[in-house]
Amino acid sequence: MTEKTSTGRETVTAPPAAAAEAGGLRDALQQVLLRGGPLIALTLLGVYLSLATPYFLSFSNLSNVTRQSAITAILAVGQTLVILSAGIDLSVGAMAAISASVAAVLMTQRLEFLGMAVGPVPFLVGLPIALAVGTLAGFINGFVITKSRIPDFIATLGTLTTYRGIALLVTGGLPVPSHLTATELKGYLPDQMLWLGGGTVLGVPVAGLIALGVVVIGWVILRYTALGRATYAVGGNREAARVSGINIDRTKIAVYTLSGLMAGLGGFVLAGRLNSANALMADGQELNSIAAVVIGGTNLFGGEGGVFGSLIGALVLGVLANGLNLLNVSDFWQRVFQGLVIILVVVFDQWRRRRFGR
Amino acid sequence: MASDQPLLRMEQIDKQFPGVHALDHVDFDLYEGEVHILLGENGAGKSTLMKILSGSIPRDSGRIFIQGDEIGPLDPERAQELGIGMVYQELSLVPSLSVAENLFLGQLPRTQIGAVDWPEMFRRAEESLAELRVDIDPRSEVRELEVAEQQLTEIARILTHRPRILLLDEPTSALSDAERERLFEIMDRLRTRGVSIVYISHRLAEVPRVGQRVTVLRDGQKIGTLPVEEADEDTLVRMMVGRELTEQFPKHDVEPGEPILRVQDLSLDGFLSDISLELHEGEILGIFGLMGAGQTELARAIFGLEAKSSGRLYINGQQVNIRRPTDAIRHGMGFLTRDRREGLVPMLPIPPNVTLAGVSQIPLLGRLKLQNEKEIGAQFVRDLRIQPPSLDRLVNYLSGGNQQKVVLARWLASGSKILIFDEPTRGIDVGAKAEVFALMDELTQRGVGIIMISSEMPEILAMADRILVMRSGEFTAEFARGEATQERILRAAS
Repeated sequence: MTEKTSTGRETVTAPPAAAAEAGGLRDALQQVLLRGGPLIALTLLGVYLSLATPYFLSFSNLSNVTRQSAITAILAVGQTLVILSAGIDLSVGAMAAISASVAAVLMTQRLEFLGMAVGPVPFLVGLPIALAVGTLAGFINGFVITKSRIPDFIATLGTLTTYRGIALLVTGGLPVPSHLTATELKGYLPDQMLWLGGGTVLGVPVAGLIALGVVVIGWVILRYTALGRATYAVGGNREAARVSGINIDRTKIAVYTLSGLMAGLGGFVLAGRLNSANALMADGQELNSIAAVVIGGTNLFGGEGGVFGSLIGALVLGVLANGLNLLNVSDFWQRVFQGLVIILVVVFDQWRRRRFGR
Repeated sequence: MASDQPLLRMEQIDKQFPGVHALDHVDFDLYEGEVHILLGENGAGKSTLMKILSGSIPRDSGRIFIQGDEIGPLDPERAQELGIGMVYQELSLVPSLSVAENLFLGQLPRTQIGAVDWPEMFRRAEESLAELRVDIDPRSEVRELEVAEQQLTEIARILTHRPRILLLDEPTSALSDAERERLFEIMDRLRTRGVSIVYISHRLAEVPRVGQRVTVLRDGQKIGTLPVEEADEDTLVRMMVGRELTEQFPKHDVEPGEPILRVQDLSLDGFLSDISLELHEGEILGIFGLMGAGQTELARAIFGLEAKSSGRLYINGQQVNIRRPTDAIRHGMGFLTRDRREGLVPMLPIPPNVTLAGVSQIPLLGRLKLQNEKEIGAQFVRDLRIQPPSLDRLVNYLSGGNQQKVVLARWLASGSKILIFDEPTRGIDVGAKAEVFALMDELTQRGVGIIMISSEMPEILAMADRILVMRSGEFTAEFARGEATQERILRAAS
């Protein structure tokens, strides 16, 4: 087998490669049908809304939708990594809030720290702090789950409450900057932070570009790195991953840490958009991000899926909320519709996979 | 064996499973107050026969009589009404409930208003356990019990139904010698109370101790029934094995080279005690053991999947510390698990599955060589003739034999010099088996050393250069190629 292998490889693999190209179109079509479910849903939704209301396709409205979806998309990328590894992260919203709160307090207030007066720190210090807080919070999630061997759901349910509590302590339960602190210390959130949340580059919302960048980073990690492969393996078959030498604990800690990092970024951008951080911000984002992941076609039990689906999922949720607003649907009914759409998209997705899957 | 009419008579029982004639017109009978031992190799049909009698699987044809009356179709409820109780190989207790609740599961004593009568239940549980003279607190949770105590609880549970016929399916595999002796005493007592017992066993040594008659099954056929006085071990082994070896195993003579793996005094609490072995380059070392003898634990301990209590490993003469599989892989080892599903990531296609062992050897954010991976995948699809030859197809949709080839390809791709195969032919068809053997043969010619764990005696006899036989976590015999016979192996294993 030795001699032949090196010389024969070229010729033998050539025919399948050619065949693959011939069947490529059909395969591609099947792939679109197989993977394109969320995209089909998004397109249908978009077409309906652009017919139903003249405002939907307006430039300002689309920018608005992009900004709204961007936060969910950023958090959903971290959530995708976690869910692919057969975990779940209920604390993404809380991690976003604690990261933004800590950074915002440091950027707007002067604090006594070991006898020294610190701050307010500039943007270029505040942003890394937000990311560091998120990263640490995510690492703690991963550490607790793997070392104490409790279910992911329970661990992140616990840290969700804990992180919100710490955020309340840090902010004193007030928005940052609030009128109280603002008059006292004349601190405002830095302009660069507001630009991240609300600014545009050549007309495109910065938040949307950040979300796109995060999605690309998530995709690169999943497709090209050992961590990405380990994530699919651990989520797809934990025992096989173990026998193949993959360090399951390290993989899980890594994906939870990344989820924390992305939540920190998401929280920072959200606070920039709102021009305010508070301990209870990003409420409901844990469920939104999970919904985006699932709508995007990632298997909730791990091992299958990807971040581009989650981006589409976040857009479906964003467009739906925006459309219902434009159509003057009451907030109560909006919730009903959002819930139903999540169920419908996933039911459709399951049916399509059974029908067109191999 | 008082009356001439047997308590139970089974006539011409026949059962087909897809591809297997599990029972081929088997006759069986059981007298009152008798312990009748059922012997046979794995897959001989013992458990199938007992499951038919306990109503958990239907028979295709054949008649069953109890005290001369023919009984129709059986299901578990009907079997229970007829006084047939079965203790299964795998325990069927609820771990989080108390012993007493388990004993009366489905028939809990009730008070007048329909609530569970706890005092009555514990009283009756104490009675049942005292009857067996076992000292178990009926209030303790089942999961807190030792395995042997669980087994006794299981037996006590069946006995609450007051069976006339008790079926014990291989109850001793989890028991120590002392616990086994206790079980035999219980069986003696039950027998004097008129309970008839069918006892399935692998252990020839215990035959004269427990039973009055022995029936041997082989490949779904009844070979014969003997009184224990005539059933010496030689006779029984001949009856159990008895088949010709077919020469369909490609095996070249390879001169074994230097030792590449040495295991010294390896112990694993409760499974292995002071195991030592040596594997040479180009050698296939067969390890044979009956179920639960510790062979799987040995493989897993060597590969770092189980924490060893003690023991040292040497690779190429150097002592190595293997605490997890990634260490083993780094030192050039590969492990084919007993259960194929434990080896594959079903929702990934062939190439990532083949290269999975390499993932642990690069840093977390290190880059995968995707192009290289495709080429490796394509090479093994071709070399091992994996069907269909598609690199995009998820391995979930491959047949069993092809899945096995994918796992094999992983360890070939990782360049392993030491391979541990745990039941490499389990659940794959004959054609794929021959291909797996051919591959093993080719590997040894390249200097790879293979530890082959198998319970298929013809395969191990044909393929192994040397055979170690395991029993209760220890090696009991070693045979060179050609020295071993099925009889000698089986005697050492049981």
